[in-house]
Parts: sequence; structure tokens; C-alpha cells
Amino acid sequence: MTTEPPSPGISISKTAEPSTLDVSVGPQHPGSGHCRILIRVDGDYIVSADPDIGYVHRGCEKIAEYRNYVSNIPHLERPNIADAIHLNWGYVLPIEELQGVVVPPRGKYISTIAAEMNRIMSHLYGLAIMQGVFSGHTTIFMWAFGDRDLFIELAEMLTGARLTYSFLVPGGPRRDLPFGFEDRLSRLLDYFEKRLVEYDRIFFSNPSVIARAKGIGVLKREDAKKLGVVGPVLRASGVKYDVRKVEPYGAYADLEFDIPTFEEGDSYSRYLIRFEEMKQSVRIIRQALEKIPKGPIARKAPLVAPEGEATGRVESSRGEITYLVMGDNSDKPSRVKIMNGSFRNLIALPFLVRNVHVADMPIIYGSLDYWPVEADR
Amino acid sequence: MSQDTLQDFAGVWIGKMSELVQTIIGSGPIKYIVNWSRMYALWPVHITTACCSAEFGAMMGPRLDPERFGMQAVAGGLRQCDLLIVEGTVTKKMAKRLKIVYEQMPKPRYVIAMGDCACSGGLFHDSYSIVNDVHKLFPIDVYVPGCPPRPEALLSAIVKLREKIRRQEVFA
Amino acid sequence: MSQVSLSREEAIIGQLKARFPEAIEETKIDRARRVTIHFEKDHVQEIAMFMRDELGFDHVKGVAGVDLPTQKKIEVLYFAGSYSNAEVQDFIVILKAKLPRDNPIIASVVSVWESAHFHERETFEMFGVKFEGHPDLRKLLTLDNWEGPPPMLKDIKFPEMGQR
Repeated sequence: MTTEPPSPGISISKTAEPSTLDVSVGPQHPGSGHCRILIRVDGDYIVSADPDIGYVHRGCEKIAEYRNYVSNIPHLERPNIADAIHLNWGYVLPIEELQGVVVPPRGKYISTIAAEMNRIMSHLYGLAIMQGVFSGHTTIFMWAFGDRDLFIELAEMLTGARLTYSFLVPGGPRRDLPFGFEDRLSRLLDYFEKRLVEYDRIFFSNPSVIARAKGIGVLKREDAKKLGVVGPVLRASGVKYDVRKVEPYGAYADLEFDIPTFEEGDSYSRYLIRFEEMKQSVRIIRQALEKIPKGPIARKAPLVAPEGEATGRVESSRGEITYLVMGDNSDKPSRVKIMNGSFRNLIALPFLVRNVHVADMPIIYGSLDYWPVEADR
Repeated sequence: MSQDTLQDFAGVWIGKMSELVQTIIGSGPIKYIVNWSRMYALWPVHITTACCSAEFGAMMGPRLDPERFGMQAVAGGLRQCDLLIVEGTVTKKMAKRLKIVYEQMPKPRYVIAMGDCACSGGLFHDSYSIVNDVHKLFPIDVYVPGCPPRPEALLSAIVKLREKIRRQEVFA
Repeated sequence: MSQVSLSREEAIIGQLKARFPEAIEETKIDRARRVTIHFEKDHVQEIAMFMRDELGFDHVKGVAGVDLPTQKKIEVLYFAGSYSNAEVQDFIVILKAKLPRDNPIIASVVSVWESAHFHERETFEMFGVKFEGHPDLRKLLTLDNWEGPPPMLKDIKFPEMGQR
């Protein structure tokens, strides 16, 4: 039952046909999590969809205005705890720019290693739940979650927390690589590369997955550009855009990696693009472990930021995250604005689920890897 | 079988003797059989209120395997569930829906408050859009602090809840 | 930083200034790849159209509001980016317009940049900025849990703030 009257959404026509029916999907149902999608169905086909988000809106941007710069870090990374390093890094970059602090090279490499490990973890989470469970494939849920825990163990070794690291502060990372970390990480990568082949066999080459995802929810290149989607969703539609290449931060300028793209733009290519990105992340971590220089990991940064504004961005697992931080000579920011991948990809959902079967909606939703908490902030 | 239906059952079929039957069921070995079967059939509702769901997922995963405690994979239908895990921050918008979900669950029902936010507001206690006192919406059986709690902590909360169920009265 | 050539940034500002001599109030190059342009609010759609068609900025990364209670203004920020034009792919052009605080109204850019749809709805909700011509200007995040003034305004204080 809907608690509000059916609302005219981005694409819902104001006058309902007598043959259509409004269905409220979520916030309690085995899939969407904390997001409600109001769909109008005609028989088994979705006529239009209206996402009703905000079930996890915690007012991060408002809270940020009355806490100081460093105590903002923990709550600003909570919006996406599967991908905490990137949210953290995107917030720290503009502060460093305002304060004129330059992170030493070793700090940049450590941040890069942590970020790429986080990207693998986040993609494994997406593979397990958003893509695996939503397409009824429980084996990949078990496999990917088991392997994700191995990375979490190493992240815990490095940062001290399983998911919410608060690892980067203005000036650099909090800790150096612990003893034995490089060795364990490179052994894990050896194991993980073998597992990737098995993932391909059991999930990506699985005829039932291909039958469900191929050709579903096609986002053409022009539409992707027009809607301004980001990250894997954009690259699956054939646009080669990655902040790591476009505006290199951290140690990415020194490292060699490719930006995988697909031309089809359907759900299956959005599944595959994350698979390919995990391979690239493995490559990046290997190089970073080899090239990591010696020296200090962080510089001392002041607690106060001068007056001015700075925009920083990083490529998170769900796409570009842009932070605007405005300082006013005090220890608290006067404005923090977060523009993240999930919120920007949300516009693709009502666009893609038009004229598809109801049963295809979870596939499309899962392929967008939409993280409601991140979008709501 | 829930408490209400059990009571009705006894009332309709046994009439005046229902009190006697309740005493027999409530005190004897039947009580342990009922509680034992409830202990091994904790089915959680899948309503994720915030980010702690990531650790809930890790708890359901292959490492800890809660199925050995009778926790089946999350079910979509509320009528099959008897455990509500409040996974993190409850916003004012979600609180309404959470209350509806709780009311739809059959008795006996148990609630675990997972995470600092669900316990007392946590990191976001001073936000304008969240509910700090989740315990005012419905009674909570076990609190699990942590931001987010480790999966082991959640599993230990489930073990604690099972202890509570084992010792509870059938007709409370 | 001084070695970095800023010719591309200056070229964008030059083109905008040449096309809209009276609408562009102030321009600033924050650093390489970041350009801030203050413009007069009535020209928002023309500038957006020019940015999209001539300069290749085909999407917005976000629309933000900033409350300036001392100046009695609300500033609306558009973060324009480009996917199509490889030359300016790495740019973020921040377009800023100041609106009166008591009656913030500006024309919507959804007809030009469809990607601004949800961002404008959010800014409407958080700052009370009315985007004229937006196809569906409703509250987005706090649909039924927030009655009252837009929460992100600076003078809105909550009893919860600073509780502990």
C-alpha cells in the first residue's frame, strides 16, 4: 500500500489509464533495500517509475557545518561503507587544496593501495548482492562474500577497522603499511586472480545469467551523456571517462592501467565492466606495491582551513564523487556539498525501466549498483 | 504457532479447561519443545534501514553461516518472519514504515537493534531527520553497539536472543 | 603551480565573455581545470545552452545551494562537466548565480541539461530555491518527515543540534 498519493514522477503521466496499476516497491522487499520505487504497471510491463528516495537521509551536509574538519570524516564516509576510502578521500582532497598541504609520495601510494582494495571489496559486494542475489544466483553470493572477507581482513590490518576506516586525514594516511602486509596482499592477489577465472565460469559465462541480463535495460551512449551518469554505468555505455585518468590524483599518474569500456550499454555489460575493473585494480595494486617509495607518509596539516572554496573529485566504485568544501578561516567548513555516483545514476533508473517486464527491474536496478544510503546522504 | 493462535486454539477446543491446559503446556516439557522449535526458526525480515546492512550481509555470508542456528536466508514475506533486525539509523521517514512492518509480523516477534544509531542515535544523533529513540517505536530484545558492529557481534546477539527464547514462558 | 599553462581556462572564459558581455559578472580561475563564473541569474538558460552546444559541456555534476545570510543572498552553483568534448573533459566549470534570500527564483536548466533533474529538486528542498519550468518540482529526500523551512538554511537550528 502506498502511504502517499501516487505522485507524478519524472516520467509518470499525470492521468492514469484505467488499465494501469500503481505498485509501490519497497522500502521493505527483498531487494531494493532502503529505497522506494513507485512503478505504474500495465499487465506485466512497467509504464513508468518514480523513485522515492530519502529513507536514509541523515542530513550529512547539515551536520558537516557544525562539526570540525576532522570530526566530519567519520560521518561523511558512512554514506557508503562498502566504499569508505573513496568518500573519505574525496572530502580530504579539497581541504588539502585549501590548506596547501601536499601529501608525501609514500602517503599517496598507501592511499592508492587502500582505495583499490576498497574498489575490489565494493565490486565484490555489488557482484554478490546487487547482481548475484537479484538474479537469483546464490552461489556467487557465497563465493564473492567469502573472498571479500579476505580483503576486509587485510584492510583491518592496515587501518584497524573492517569497513569504516577514517583512514585518510588532511595531510596523508594515518598509518604506514604494517609489517608483513605487502607479502600477504600479494599472496591474496595471486589467489584472487585465480578466483576471477572461476567467477567468470560460474557467473559471467552462465547461460542463465546471460539470458536474464543480456539486452536488458539498454542505455545508449548519447542517452548516457545526456543523463550525466557516471562510473561503471557510463563506461558500460561506451564513454571512456574515468577521473583517475582525466584528473589523476594520488599515485595514479605513475601507474599503468586501462579503462575498460563496453559498447552495448545493457545490464550484462554493466555486470562485466565491474569484473574487468577488478582485474585492473589487481594490476594497479601490484604496481603500487612494487613502486612504493620510502619516506614519510604524511605531513602535518592545520586544523583550520582558510577562506575560499575548493572542489575535489575521486573515482569511487560507483563513479565520480565531487566534493565542494568552503572554508571560512575557522575549524568548521561553512558548506560541504557531496555529488556522488549513486545520486547521479539514479536518473537512469526511471529511464531504463520503462517498457520492461516487472521481473527485469531487479536486474536493471542491480546492474546500476545503486547504493541508497550514498544517494540520500 | 503464535501465542495468540495457541490461546484461541485452547479456548475453542477445550473451553473451561483452557487454563489447565495452558498450565500444562506452560510448565511441562511441552514448553521446552515449543521454545526449542522457536529457537531454531528465527527468520529475519529484510528491511534495511541504513548502512549496517553491509555487516548484516557479511553475517549471512559463508564465514559465520547463521543457518546452523536456524536462521534461514532472509524472507520477503513479513508473515513468515519473527525477527526484526533494525540495521542502523532509523530516519523519521523510515520510522513510519518500520512500525508498519513490525505490526505486520506475527507473534512472538523479536527485535535486535543493530548499531549505535539504532541503539541511541550514534554518530548522527544531532541530525534533524533521524529518530534517536528507536525503543519508543517497539520493545527491543537485544542491543548490539558498534558502528558498524562486527558480524561476530551480531551473531553473538542472535545467540543471546536464543537464550532468551529458551527460557521464556509460552503464554507470556 | 605557476608553471601550469592556464590557456584553456582563459579560452573558455574568453568565449563566454565575448558571447555574454553583460551577463557575466565575474570570472575566476581557481586552479588548473577549475573555472568559476558568476553570472546574472536571468541568463541562466542562455548560458547553459551556449555551454552545451558550443563548448561541449553536456552534463551537470550537481546543483548546489549556498546560503549567505550576511549578504541576504542564496547562491546557486551549477557544476558543469563534459563527456563529449575531449579537450575540456577534465574541467569543472562552476556557474554561480546569486538570488535574493527572501524570494529565490531562477529558471530551470532541465530543458538544457536533463541531468540536473534530481539535483534541482534537492536544492529546492534544501534551500527553497524555486526552479521555474522544472517539470516536476517536488520534495525529494524529506518527502514526509520535514515540515517547515528548508533545513539547509544557515539560520535554521534544531533542538537536536549540540545535544551531547
